[in-house]
Amino acid sequence: MAAKNQIKVVLMSYKYSFMREMLNKTSFISGIVFMMLNNACMVGQWIVLFTLKADFGGYGFREIILLWGFAAGTYGVAHAFFAQAFHLSDLIVNGKLDAYLVQPKNILISVITSAIIPHALGDIIFAYVACFIYSFNIKVFLLFTLLIITGGLILTSLAAILNSLSFWLKNSDIIADTGVSAVIFFATYPDGIFHGLTKWILFTIIPVGIANYIPVRSIINCDYSLILFNILACILFIAFAFIIFYRGLKRYASGNLMSARV
Amino acid sequence: MKKYLFIAKSQIMSNMQYITNIFGGFIGFTLILIILFNLYQYLYSDPNELINGYSMHQMIWYVIITELLWSILGGSKMSKKIANDVKSGNITYNINKPYSYVGYCLASNIGDLFLKFIFYTIFGMVLGIFFVGHFPNLNIISALIVIVISFLALVISILFITSIGLVSFFIEDASPLYWLYSKFILVLGTIFPIEFFPVFMQKILIFSPIYVVSYGPARLFVNFNYVDAINIFCAQVIYIFACYALCSFIYGKGVKRINVNGG
Amino acid sequence: MAIIEVKKLSKTFKVKLKEKGLIGSLKAIIKPKYKKVEAVKNISFEIEKGEVVAFIGPNGAGKSTTIKMMTSILYPDKGSINIMGLDPTKDRKKLAYQIGTVFGQKEQLWTHLTPYDNFKFFGAIYDINPSVIEKKIDEFRELFELDEFINTPVRNLSLGQRIRCEIVASLIHEPKILFLDEPTIGLDPVVKENIRTLIKRMNKEYKTTIFLTSHDVSDIEKLCKRVIIINNGQVVLDDSMENLKYHYLNKKLVDAKMKEKINLDDEEGITILKDKGYNLKLEVDITKRSVADAIKLLDPDKIIDINISNVPLEDIISNIYKNKE
Repeated sequence: MAAKNQIKVVLMSYKYSFMREMLNKTSFISGIVFMMLNNACMVGQWIVLFTLKADFGGYGFREIILLWGFAAGTYGVAHAFFAQAFHLSDLIVNGKLDAYLVQPKNILISVITSAIIPHALGDIIFAYVACFIYSFNIKVFLLFTLLIITGGLILTSLAAILNSLSFWLKNSDIIADTGVSAVIFFATYPDGIFHGLTKWILFTIIPVGIANYIPVRSIINCDYSLILFNILACILFIAFAFIIFYRGLKRYASGNLMSARV
Repeated sequence: MKKYLFIAKSQIMSNMQYITNIFGGFIGFTLILIILFNLYQYLYSDPNELINGYSMHQMIWYVIITELLWSILGGSKMSKKIANDVKSGNITYNINKPYSYVGYCLASNIGDLFLKFIFYTIFGMVLGIFFVGHFPNLNIISALIVIVISFLALVISILFITSIGLVSFFIEDASPLYWLYSKFILVLGTIFPIEFFPVFMQKILIFSPIYVVSYGPARLFVNFNYVDAINIFCAQVIYIFACYALCSFIYGKGVKRINVNGG
Repeated sequence: MAIIEVKKLSKTFKVKLKEKGLIGSLKAIIKPKYKKVEAVKNISFEIEKGEVVAFIGPNGAGKSTTIKMMTSILYPDKGSINIMGLDPTKDRKKLAYQIGTVFGQKEQLWTHLTPYDNFKFFGAIYDINPSVIEKKIDEFRELFELDEFINTPVRNLSLGQRIRCEIVASLIHEPKILFLDEPTIGLDPVVKENIRTLIKRMNKEYKTTIFLTSHDVSDIEKLCKRVIIINNGQVVLDDSMENLKYHYLNKKLVDAKMKEKINLDDEEGITILKDKGYNLKLEVDITKRSVADAIKLLDPDKIIDINISNVPLEDIISNIYKNKE
């Protein structure tokens, strides 16, 4: 019952956020279109790279398109539906959680679902276009959908975890921004080009291996064995995000933590 | 001129507090370079191989310079700030001040970038030595020339971004224009030298801003010669005058529009 | 039985100190210095059901910190809070159903939506059945006179209308206790009066217990029967409004305009506050002297105009602030 009510509030919150964004239809649509173009442009560099070499880390051009689509998809899911997870630090430091704390709902869920970002929808559309270019196939489509959702949730959890460090460290927004952009940077390059320490880091500290590389490989190889692993990793990340956030909440200062100048 | 120096200086002083942010930015910068370092290692099966006339070491230094110029600029924040000034009407406070707004923008942004320029350059050089092991062939004079040309490249970038921000006088949201500009620089002017593109594109790119804001300084750094340096310098001077005139023109038109509409 | 019980509540903030300049910034990164600020020190009080209590104090006295601890926004360092048998630190969600909050200008409403849509959203937050919400909105619409703007987007409303909507939104779930942190800040006198009427009506119709902070003395005077004054994080006074006035209103102010210049000196129980020759202002301590004594002293024949008044509540309160510092 509580879960049902929570979902109802989240959906209502999406609806209202959507209405807010739709107030300015031109910027809503141009945001979406430009994000799609943006991604398409960035794929352009690969056209040049493929004139120099036939494959990168075992991936041909088609696979790279899929990789790009997948990266855009996880980013899109995370930013379209959980945008505020990426700005939690600001909300924490400047005391903007008050309104959520007095509501009888889960604070982290209410906060991160309180806004949508239109251009992230452009990412999702781009993701599916890329997915269809890779292969117009219902199985690929379903697998892709499931895995961009788990990937997006892992990215969101990472953002929530790093941003929650603001309860302890004031400047942790830099850490959070860097951590999130690291995932996004690496997600658009095939893991085959990395080796040694870098590769090790990509599957541990920066979870781009779990959120992006393994899923893309699963889709390419039609390998279902790692899907369960992915879902499990996703659940762990979410659980960890909740634990860190609620731990930190006890230290929340509601904007009273202004630093004094001497 | 003195007042513009003062504007730049106050901006430097106020930025002293944000040193942490600069150091934070190093992490992102390092990550991009790690990616590109791996990519080029993959691309070059043999470090002595030349691709389109560039060795792997030259490619790494090239991309360090172009990425440095891009990171120091921090263009998205800059264009947002100018667009906000226009939208919020803050810009009207500048109309009756005894300086030109474009000059003010340029001075304050140069001040803004000054510390970043120093810190990032040092950091970029250390990183380059770490990845490559040695500096390109430069003596004191040619190194100074590269620094001057890099600095002018940033000045041109600032003017370009200012002009984009000022377009907010006429359209609701100028950020798509900034996007276009940034994609143009990032895709065509950052990761690869112009020589990597098809021949017909090379001819266009040579005459595009990429030549003066990214390709030029980076190319000089990895393969210095005086003829190129003079060419690039002359092109930069032309660009600076043209861009300054463009900004002033847009600003002038924009302000008139405000006066007509009553703000 | 008390509906709110606050016992020995304390809260300390750690404030980072920052020195100026480059070296200061670098120092702050390597070895940050902190200063402890005790915002709330050992506060205790109880509030009965249906009371309207003013919780006042100068800026930085700890009002907001206390109210935020009571509404489960901040975690107390020490002490306990019991609201209707619930502990804000443990039963946050359960408590949320029982209380309503309005925090001055911190907006809880979606500005692009109409008050009506906002009320529906708040209804969903508190798990209220849609048909029940509709009825509730209708009821509020009449009671709080929202008709003329219930379908106008909040961003197009005046500040006063917005605050009214904020308050109504916080009432959707019929809270037993309402916490108001500076509800009338920045409003003009007419709108202030409006808001006060609303609060009074709510207290009367729904028997809502009201806990209110304000800097506006007339808010307090017109709404509250009880005043808790805190300063420097401690309760300095907890008394009924009547007692407050009774104890502190034993002084009268006498303003007189004279026909001729007279020269006076301070006397036992009569203090001359202002002496501009023709215009005089005296303060009479009526425990020692009567007002009549003061008038005699002025020579009644020479008085053109006279005004005898109480010391304003505002002065009383600021005196309490000063004395307890």
